[in-house]
Amino acid sequence: MGVAFVAHCMLNQNSKVGDGAHCAGVYSPIVDVLREKGWRIEQMPCPELAFAGLNRFWAVREQYDTAAFRRHCARLATAVADAIAVRVERGEDIVLIGVEGSPSMGVTITSSDPRRGGRPQWAEGTSEQVSGEGIFVEELRQELASRGIGFPRVAGETHAIPGHDEAAQRAAVESALLLAPGDDPPEPPAVGAES
Amino acid sequence: MERDARSFRVALVADEFVNPPPGGIDGIAAAAQAGWGVVQLPAADYPAQVADRLLFEVAEQSEEFAKHGYDIVLVGQREGLADALARVGLAVPDGINPESPVQLKEFLDGRPSPQAARGFGQAAG
Repeated sequence: MGVAFVAHCMLNQNSKVGDGAHCAGVYSPIVDVLREKGWRIEQMPCPELAFAGLNRFWAVREQYDTAAFRRHCARLATAVADAIAVRVERGEDIVLIGVEGSPSMGVTITSSDPRRGGRPQWAEGTSEQVSGEGIFVEELRQELASRGIGFPRVAGETHAIPGHDEAAQRAAVESALLLAPGDDPPEPPAVGAES
Repeated sequence: MERDARSFRVALVADEFVNPPPGGIDGIAAAAQAGWGVVQLPAADYPAQVADRLLFEVAEQSEEFAKHGYDIVLVGQREGLADALARVGLAVPDGINPESPVQLKEFLDGRPSPQAARGFGQAAG
């Protein structure tokens, strides 16, 4: 059986930053694919929720990339890696479903703007998305590597990416589920495109 | 920017209802239909040390939801949850051990309006 370790907000949009919840609770477009394909679901903790709270501002990587947040993410990554290790030991296939554009949970696209800080004020539509992983995903990669566990295949929820296309999102998740371990994943969605 | 669609309702759900066996009760489907978010509790077959770390994180996140007046309920049971919640000052929330999907949906639908929904963005207490 395959096991999908999913970003917290796939099952609980209440964890999202204000104005970020796309639906009441369960984000079905991703969950439904996993269920249809017979994958077990394992929900990861939200790195930002317990650290910065429900009233947090929207933020980019540079604002979260502090020693304290890294330690918090490393603690969460240890808990998640423990669970992944149990599954790997049982011979189960693993995928990681993140959130593209997230400073913490991005798997191929994160957010970056070194100038952002101070009083929150920036033009709507300012592009901050860049290729790369979020901070929690980086910490998880490091934790798994320290245990000799290969990093899982990844896919991401793409709601925050300009030009978000639910059919393309579904196809990318299905592709990640179907790839054999070690196969190359598909190209991530382009960043910086206008919506 | 689209309107925030959260429900301010969070169910702590035992793994057997997140990943139900054939013929089991699908807690995710019930939560989705009733407009609840799900916080998954660790699978029963995880070693205690693995489960304890995950329960610690469940408790910390529940603390933040509770602080802001989100409604929290428990679906099923999980050994160690009560201790984890107590460490952050929370009691085990109202809950249900559902015997059918209909019973679970009725339980979720029947909860009162959460305090947070009456003052989005305001700390509850």
